[in-house]
Order: sequence, then structure tokens, then C-alpha cells
Amino acid sequence: MNNNWMRRQQLLGYIFIGPSMLGVLLFFLIPAVYSFGLMFTNYKFMNPNVEFVGLDNIVRLLHDPMFYLSLKNTVLFLLAVPFSIGLGFVVAVVLNQRIYLKKLLRGLYFMPYITSGVAVAFVWMLLFHPKQGPINGLLRSIGFDNPPGWLSTTTSSMFAIDIIWIWFLLGYNMIIYMAALQEVSPELLEAAKMDGAKRGQILRRIIWPLVSPTTFLLLITGLIMTIKTFGIIQAITQGGPGNSTTILSLYVYQNAFRYYDMGYASTISWALFIVILLITLVQWIGQKRWVHY
Amino acid sequence: MNTKRAQSADVLKRFIITVVMLLLAVVMVIPFLWMISTSLKTPAQVFEYPIRWIPENLTWEHHIKIWTGPKNFATYYWNSLKISLIGMVGATFLSAFAAYGFARIQFKGRNALFMLYLSMMMIPPQVLFVPKFLMFDWAGIYNTHLALILPGLFTIFGVFMLRQFFLSIPKDITESAFIDGAGHFRIFFQLILPLAKPALATLAIIDFSWQWNDYENALVFLIDEHLYTVPLGLQNFILENTVDYNGMMAAASAGILPMIIVFAIGQRYIIQGLTNSAVKG
Repeated sequence: MNNNWMRRQQLLGYIFIGPSMLGVLLFFLIPAVYSFGLMFTNYKFMNPNVEFVGLDNIVRLLHDPMFYLSLKNTVLFLLAVPFSIGLGFVVAVVLNQRIYLKKLLRGLYFMPYITSGVAVAFVWMLLFHPKQGPINGLLRSIGFDNPPGWLSTTTSSMFAIDIIWIWFLLGYNMIIYMAALQEVSPELLEAAKMDGAKRGQILRRIIWPLVSPTTFLLLITGLIMTIKTFGIIQAITQGGPGNSTTILSLYVYQNAFRYYDMGYASTISWALFIVILLITLVQWIGQKRWVHY
Repeated sequence: MNTKRAQSADVLKRFIITVVMLLLAVVMVIPFLWMISTSLKTPAQVFEYPIRWIPENLTWEHHIKIWTGPKNFATYYWNSLKISLIGMVGATFLSAFAAYGFARIQFKGRNALFMLYLSMMMIPPQVLFVPKFLMFDWAGIYNTHLALILPGLFTIFGVFMLRQFFLSIPKDITESAFIDGAGHFRIFFQLILPLAKPALATLAIIDFSWQWNDYENALVFLIDEHLYTVPLGLQNFILENTVDYNGMMAAASAGILPMIIVFAIGQRYIIQGLTNSAVKG
């Protein structure tokens, strides 16, 4: 009887998980294994001559200057994450005070995160227009005679992308911080005030350490999410001008679907995976060492 | 006397902070305002500085053009709606099913399978694009909507989120039903799903917005113009009308409008879902 019940449980478990498991197999696990195999071949789409090339692709990657450039651009792109977290924290602290229109304000700051896809990237493309765009119009009118070229020059393009990305992520960071700030005990803050602590001190010495688990979480998830993104960059700069916005994930896309170099594209994509793995490892180790509870 | 003065100082302070934050919030939404304003202007007015936020004569022709012209947004809209809605409904239910299995049924290999889900979340989509492209090409669904719809039915994030929620439902609610002889299916459909309505709504809204905004998969798996989703249609429009800034902004408005509606209706759910899965997950 008991045995029978166990077997029924077993079967039911598989029935409930089955459909989802099928999707994971077909669209995650099998492609992942397939991609891993492709890494050791010279497979080009529509080219019947496929050979096993061992570690050639990896050697090629390590000697590919574009790989290092895209790695550098990726790091520049990732810089947006801590900035956006810092701003999100400040906005959350201010909105957490007793102010008017709190809900409306929260909604407005959060709006870019939920409504923006590629469509908004095109809006930014025009806002950043170097000659006629409203951003440079504003800068000129307040006295900057030579405003930056934003998306049009190799030195400024990645920073223009960073501004868009900070704008996009800010609202998400803000709402997560607002939830975390709700957990900070008011008695503790009251006690600190009684002891004569200044506002700045309370913020730095009490609130900031108390929300450090949240900061850490936002940093890790933000970095991982950013590293996987290439849509907005492909949409507005296609990696240009002069490869200055070609980040690692975009470099994978270009090799796969512009040059149809599937073997090499797979190799780069696993390099991307290693970066994500490293960030995750930092998370596991760091959670114990740097986060104050 | 003193408390009264302190009170009015407090009100003043609240008022000033509110105004400052409101001004900054307006800066946040300026791209949206500029987009709408530009879509209603004539070409000559686009880059006028200082910006005239409400154009003198509202021009609707750009909006009319993108809906009726040869590059018709009605087609893109229909494609996007079809893909996003099927994906949203399918992904929500399949996730709920799997989440219940992981949260409430004891079976061999459960933890190992869950670890597998966890690890799949770490694989970046870029690793999967090439093999999926080759598999879809082989299966004959490359350059069809099925290439987006079928993978769209599965979301690992959704399984996680709902599992978290199901675990938070007290066990004794289902325990008594068990004693009354109800099976897992009845408990799932009659007890758990009704209780999980807010969580299901949250997942559905978030999933819809992801699918609607998904540009990368559409870019990789679709070629024919009549199959384009809104983000691809938008890109196509912009490539072919490089100086028609008003048209571009009318098209961008059309692309963003559904998201603004979803945001207005579902903001509460979205915020709840994201904070729950981040803070407690």
C-alpha cells in the first residue's frame, strides 16, 4: 500500500514537471550541449565540410584582438550597473521619507524599466543626435560650445550607451531598495537620532550597511543581466562606430549571424559563460565575506 | 506654539522634497514625452531649440502613415500580440504546473532536477542562439512564428517565482484536503491556483512585457517581413526612413503604447513580483 502510494507520487511528480522539463530539454539543455560540441569544430552554416579542430577555436580566441576589445567594451558597459545602483539607492532613500505623491513618483522612476525595449533605444538615438539633438541643444545653450558626439564618436559611444542603461535600470534598483528599506527597524533609527547621530551618519553607518545584502544582490543580478544584453546596442549602433560598442554578447551574434562562423561563435559564447560563472562564484564567496547582516 | 512651527516647517520640507523629486522624475520620462511630442510635429519642427513640447499645430499624418502605409504596423502588432499572448498563457500555466511539482510533490530526483533548472539559468542566451538556429532550421520552423512561440512557452524564472510562492502557502491548507481524499490534481486546480492568482497575474504581466519587447530572438529567427514583430518592424522602418524622424517617433510610440497600458494596469503586481523574487528569492 505504502509502496504503491510512493510510486503514484513519483509518477505524479513527473507528470507535473514533465511539460516544463520537455521545454528545458529542447530549448536549454540540448542546445547547450550542442553548442559545447560546436566549439571544437570549424562548422560554418551551409558549408558541408565540417571538421573536428580540437582547441583551434580557443587558440584563435586568445589571439583575437577583437575579443579583447569586446571584453573591454563589456567592462565599460558594466560600469553602468554600480552607477545605477547608487542612484537607485539615493532615490529610494528620498522617496522613503514622508513626502507627497509617493506612489506617482515611484511609478515615474520605475516606468523606463518596464516599458522600454528597443523602441526607446531609437528615441535615445535621436536625443543624442550630435548636431541637432535636444541634449546637445541644451548643452550648447548653457555654454558648452563643443558638446560630446555621444553615439557618433568612438571615445564617447560606450558612455552614451551607459547613460541609457543607467536610466533603464534605475527604477528596478529603486523599487528593490524601497522594499529593503521597509525592513530597517524605525526604533534603531530613532535610537541613533537620540544619541545625536546626524542624518549623513545614519545613512552611511546604519542604513547603508543594513541594506548591503540588497546592494550585493542588485550588483550581481545587474551585472549578469547586462552582460547578456545586446539588443539595444545592435538596434542603434550595430557595434559601431568602429567597433567601439561591440560588446562580447554582440560579438557572438556578429560571428554567428553575420559571418555564419558557428564554431567560433560558440567558442566566444562559452567565454561569455565563463564570465557569468566568475560573477556567480564571486557571489557565493562574497555573500559570506562582505555582506553585513 | 513651537510644535506648530515645527509642523509647518515639516510640511514645507516635505513640499520642497516632493517638488525636487517630481522635477527629477520628469527628467526620467522626458524620452517618452519627447517621442510623443515629436510624433505630432512637422519635419521642420523636430530639432527646434528650445523644445516646444506641445507643437503649434498637431500633425497626425505620421501616425496615420505608419498604420496605413506599405510598412504596416497593423501586421507587426498582430504578430507581436499573437506571439506574446500565446507565450504568456502557456508559460504561466506550464510554470505553475512545474512549480507545484517542485514545491509540493515528493519524488525521486526532484532536487537534482531543480539544480538542473538552476544551472540552466546561468547559460547566457548567446550560447543557445546558434544551436537553436540550427535545430529550428532542421525542424523546418526557422523563419516561422513557431520559432518564437515554442521556446516562449517555457520560462525558468517563472518556475522559480511560482515555486517560491507555493512554498509560502501553509501546508495545513492542502493537508486537510489530502485527508479528505483529494488528489494532487484537485488540490492544484481547486486550492492552489485560486490562492495563487496574484502571483500568476504577476508572472503573466512580466512575461508578456518580456515577450512584447523581445527583439533578440526575433532578430535571429525571423527573416520575412510579413512575420516581423513590432521591434523588428520598427527597426526596419528606421533603416528605410533614416531621416523621417517624425515617422520614427510615431512608430516608436506605437511600439511602446501597449507597454504603457500594461504598466498602468499592472504596476502593483509587477513591483510586488519583482521585489518578492529579489528580496526573498
